[in-house]
Amino acid sequence: MTAMKVDAKVVMLGKESVGKTSLVERYVHHRFLVGPYQNTIGAAFVAKSITIGDKVVTLGIWDTAGSERYEAMSRIYYRGARAAIVCYDLTDSSSFQRARFWVKELQNCEEHCKIYLCGTKNDLIEEDRSLRQVDYHDVQDFADEIGAQHFETSSKTGNNVDGLFQKVAEDYSNSAFELMPEEKGVDLGQKKDSYFYACCHH
Amino acid sequence: MSQRTERRGIHVDQSELLCKKGCGYYGNAAWQGLCSKCWREEYQRARQKQIQEDWALAEKLQREEEAAYASSHGSHPQAQAHSQPSLAPFSKFEEKKTNEKTRKVTTVKKFFSPSSRTTPKKETHESKTPSPSIARQSSIETDRVSREFVDFLKNLQKPGREIHKQSRAFIESMANKKDLSAEELSECVQDFYQNMSDRLMTHFKGSSERVERVMDQVEKYIMTRLYKSVFCPETTDDEKKDLATQHRIRALHWVTIQMLCVPVDEEIPEVSDSVVKAITDIIEMDSKRVPRDKLACITSCSKHIFNAIKVTKNEPASADDFLPTLIYIVLKANPPRLQSNIQYITRFCNPSRLMTGEDGYYFTNLCCAVAFIEKLDAQSLNLSPEDFERYMSGQASPRRQDEPDSWPQTGSSVNPALSQVYHNLDLLVGLNQRQEKVLEGARSLQTELTEWQESVTREVQEILERYPLDIRPHASAIDSENVENDRLPPPLQPQVFAG
Repeated sequence: MTAMKVDAKVVMLGKESVGKTSLVERYVHHRFLVGPYQNTIGAAFVAKSITIGDKVVTLGIWDTAGSERYEAMSRIYYRGARAAIVCYDLTDSSSFQRARFWVKELQNCEEHCKIYLCGTKNDLIEEDRSLRQVDYHDVQDFADEIGAQHFETSSKTGNNVDGLFQKVAEDYSNSAFELMPEEKGVDLGQKKDSYFYACCHH
Repeated sequence: MSQRTERRGIHVDQSELLCKKGCGYYGNAAWQGLCSKCWREEYQRARQKQIQEDWALAEKLQREEEAAYASSHGSHPQAQAHSQPSLAPFSKFEEKKTNEKTRKVTTVKKFFSPSSRTTPKKETHESKTPSPSIARQSSIETDRVSREFVDFLKNLQKPGREIHKQSRAFIESMANKKDLSAEELSECVQDFYQNMSDRLMTHFKGSSERVERVMDQVEKYIMTRLYKSVFCPETTDDEKKDLATQHRIRALHWVTIQMLCVPVDEEIPEVSDSVVKAITDIIEMDSKRVPRDKLACITSCSKHIFNAIKVTKNEPASADDFLPTLIYIVLKANPPRLQSNIQYITRFCNPSRLMTGEDGYYFTNLCCAVAFIEKLDAQSLNLSPEDFERYMSGQASPRRQDEPDSWPQTGSSVNPALSQVYHNLDLLVGLNQRQEKVLEGARSLQTELTEWQESVTREVQEILERYPLDIRPHASAIDSENVENDRLPPPLQPQVFAG
């Protein structure tokens, strides 16, 4: 896994226990696990290759700690990210308030980072409509306002999960070639020092 | 008057205070009894010798490398001619590289010789390290890495030569840039990486795997050589930050697993084993020179952490578990020169690795952990500000306060070393008891013996008293013992002769 060359960094943001880890687990290993499970050592970082047309894009998916005590550090996490999946729990309105916080942060600090809003635990809503605390249309309006994509997923049934990541990969693949030259992670602006060429001349 | 008595108390002869060389100035114990001037002369001479040796060694290694390279590609007179003039400045660089840790000495020297800039040759000599063993060791390592690099490039044939030439030229050019700030140095290195990988990309026709492989080697070679001059450079306050972080972590020694919500149970042997390994790895990071090797230490540390969480929780760890545990490990390990290492990796690592890959993920988490530790307050540990203050000032310790009776047991769960101490104490107590028992046995044996002896004496005495020794008086005839008495004629009877 370490050897895999990663093209794009995708960060998972969201309050604790909204299901970031489950979402990644479902997407990468196609399973939803309740109770003890042992096969994977950790789902904090995953590299996943996706075929888009005739190209292969490898996403490096970064899980982040959602607890409020680490809020001040979240900026370190999404530095250089090409996409952010901001998760909230459809049955918990406070989690959506936190999602708004991250969206604002991202807009301020990472203008090249595309934002995907993701409402999780859709299966619970389908079982019992009264559990829904975050309105679909409210979120859609918010998404339109910030220019984000909007998904509602269930890691339990797998509903919409692949669609979400497929979209992330597609968007990256489409935009990658426009941004490539200037977005290599490090500021290479002032390379006119030309020591490199100078020493090859004599 | 009092002055006089004081003087008498010390008993120092005027002559002992003077310089041992007899120049008439006062000497100083710190300069082995010499005055500052004589000491400098003395010291300079010893160092000059050392410098000559080191220089000779560096030149020898350089020649060997050249020779190894030349022999692997047949003779390229042009290339030889090219590298010849660069030999001198390069070995000068080699020298510069070997002196680190002599910041104080250097500044003192600069103070003494303000004209050092006009005499560059002298300056390099003066800023030599006083510790030859360190210098040797590092030049041996540098030499090994250089040889590996040459071996690696042999497989690439002609482009390999080109890569070698450019890398060498780059290192030389860096030697002249020691006045630049750390950020500018970083930019130079990053530019070099970028240029090199662009060229390789064209050469290998876009096979990024092969480019990466070569770039890893280039990074290793360059950074091993530049390490001493660019790790924690004087132009930054990295060192100050290192010390601040170290103090901060020391002040936070009381933070417990529970406060950080770390999902790790160190009572389980496998878990505590992983924790120890994780701590070892993060401490080991400081000993590596190549940014990639340092990153590998962080990754290995993280894997052990994941294992510890997995065993404890019986499910794979998420970032919500991982970050607190990493913070806990950093607090426990207090890794040396943490900030310098982070800065060094940020500045000089090949960026593609740092930004996206798995190593980058763990590195980012480490940065977060350090940021958290720096900003940590009562709220982030779910404590009241008063408690936090008391713990920080050392007035109270959370552990003893909570369970005053059973703190040795709690201690064992917190610290394996402590538990070992308690275990050993138990053993000692046991041994003590056994020893007492043995002593008691010995004592009772002793009394028994004494009693036996006394009883025997008594018995003997009794018998003696009961049967007193009856010594009958002997007829003490002189010849009573003569056996042949019978045969003797009877003694002459006295006869009375009536006369």
